[in-house]
Amino acid sequence: MRSPASQEPAPGETCRFCCPIEGAWQLARNRFPHALRAVALLWIAVAAAAVWNARLPLGIPWLPSPGNRVGIPRAFESSLPEINAAEALTLYQAGEALFVDSRDRKDYDKEHIPGALNLPQREWAKLWPALKGKIAKDRLLVLYCYGAHCGLSTRQGKALLEEGYGKLVILDYGWEAWTKAGNPTVKHPKAGNA
Amino acid sequence: MPEMAALRRLLTHPVFLRAAGIVVGAVLVYASLDKIARPDRFADIVHDYDMLPLLAINAFALLMPWTEMVAGAALILGVWRRGAGLMATALTVAFMIAIAQAELRGLKIECGCFDVTGVSSSEASWPLFARDVPLLLGSVLVWRRG
Repeated sequence: MRSPASQEPAPGETCRFCCPIEGAWQLARNRFPHALRAVALLWIAVAAAAVWNARLPLGIPWLPSPGNRVGIPRAFESSLPEINAAEALTLYQAGEALFVDSRDRKDYDKEHIPGALNLPQREWAKLWPALKGKIAKDRLLVLYCYGAHCGLSTRQGKALLEEGYGKLVILDYGWEAWTKAGNPTVKHPKAGNA
Repeated sequence: MPEMAALRRLLTHPVFLRAAGIVVGAVLVYASLDKIARPDRFADIVHDYDMLPLLAINAFALLMPWTEMVAGAALILGVWRRGAGLMATALTVAFMIAIAQAELRGLKIECGCFDVTGVSSSEASWPLFARDVPLLLGSVLVWRRG
């Protein structure tokens, strides 16, 4: 029998104090075997996710895309470029692009970019069938939503890419950047909603 | 009390525990399929919950569905049942926290529970929170007694 004061392991027993890592491992194996199995299952999930995502056509990068945008498939990253408010103003003045406001209807109704079409992304499934085919697929579309970290315009961009629209740009920082730059807006319109 | 003893016997009966594991596993596997197929859309939904830093959203959207799938498959197959039960418990608690905080903050967002395409999705709400309670009980039972 071991003396309580002794740090020496009994024959056949692993010394818990000789190697902290081995001691911790033994402790975890004896006390929390199911937690260890859960960790092993987690590693299987990590491996499966990595393999699947590498092969998936609409796979996403593990980290946010440039501009801190999330949920953009690797295949779409170059198809959804961002422009700043000055570049958007140039397009607006040239009349070359259709501005699409993906904010909620109530916010569009308060104020929006003149001539912008309201297509609230939260109502995409309801509104898009009626609008489908009414916008030429080769038209340049400038998508915008509220501002920093608003994912609605990017989400709409993904949906439009899947619908075959190829000329899309996202207004970086959206409505916030447009108004901060002092670009033209129109208030309280009663018509023009999608 | 005899009723309590009978209930305890039922809940810890190997057949009941096996059945509970299969049911919880099937729910998890079914819930993972849509998210695995469209991680980009699931990332959008995770973003809407507004709980994670942007840096972690894509990685979470890739890993979480596979965690559901692996835990669910292990429960159905009866492999490492208690470990898988622990994973299922952790996942269900995370779902419930996510739904509760969305509801408390008044976020009107898609649940992303079983569908991420917006076709048959439902809003994160208290009824969905309540729906997770039996899933949690089943998971805990398999973890603690499996």
